[in-house]
Amino acid sequence: MNAMLVAPLNVEELRDPELNALVDRCSVLGVPDPAFAGTLAHAPEYAKALLQALLVSHAEGRVDHRLKEVIRVQLARIAGDAYFAGLRSTRARSLGLDEETITAAAGRFDIDPRFTEAEKWALRYARNMYLDPEKVDAAFYAEGKRHYTEAEIMELGAFIAFHYGMQVFMRAMGTPHRKG
Amino acid sequence: MRSASAKRQGLTEQDIDEGVTHYATSARFTAAEKAALRWCELMALDPERIDAEFQCTLRRHYSDEEIVELGAFIGFNIGYHTFFGTLGFYPMFSPDGRLVSQEESARLYGAAPVSLATTNGPADKRG
Repeated sequence: MNAMLVAPLNVEELRDPELNALVDRCSVLGVPDPAFAGTLAHAPEYAKALLQALLVSHAEGRVDHRLKEVIRVQLARIAGDAYFAGLRSTRARSLGLDEETITAAAGRFDIDPRFTEAEKWALRYARNMYLDPEKVDAAFYAEGKRHYTEAEIMELGAFIAFHYGMQVFMRAMGTPHRKG
Repeated sequence: MRSASAKRQGLTEQDIDEGVTHYATSARFTAAEKAALRWCELMALDPERIDAEFQCTLRRHYSDEEIVELGAFIGFNIGYHTFFGTLGFYPMFSPDGRLVSQEESARLYGAAPVSLATTNGPADKRG
């Protein structure tokens, strides 16, 4: 395993109130943890924009946060990113999401009764986006509209694209040492 | 589509074509720019090859701040280009700058944006 390309800054030493507030919000959610914020903090304006977008896309909007958390971990495994794959949303856990459900989403979710038809479509959306994008065609989106509004599909698509992109970035930076 | 700001700063279509297809042997790019283009290629297609030696190459040319800026920019674009590709978007403007309908744009730009056609070469290991 490579060392981190850029060592994270210590977020406790950051002196930017806006950035500090975002780091605090991330710490409460558990995703991302201070290693990601400290890495981005080398470019403070990027850090603020990207942390804000991560929080909004993951923890706000109309789509169930638990479903997004399952998708986020599924994507991290596809990206080969051990860092984001190892993080968990405290909010999703408090809402009842367990590790068995996260693991099930990485397997034969299509035949798993724990997922609704809408959730199965969303899981296929995330899986196919980067493994088999030819399958994400007009017919696939038409099927999605039976389960979700167009706004919800854009929310999901943007969430998938953004989090996968940040996972690709973190994989390229090397996996940070995790305390504990 | 193209960045108007980059064009004003002198970026040409020839620069883009060479940057996409054969930057490594092109005289248009500095060693630092080639390292950035290589990083983009590896992040998208072959992340296992981002090894300690390549990390040293990047550090020779870029500061920590620039590495974070570049890496996050590349990651963001890798994520979003695939998503937008599934939506079947075409550019809003024709090559001569006219605002055109999606139907006309599809006729002008073909089944897929030209720039995508050149990135599906032998280096693409996703198959």
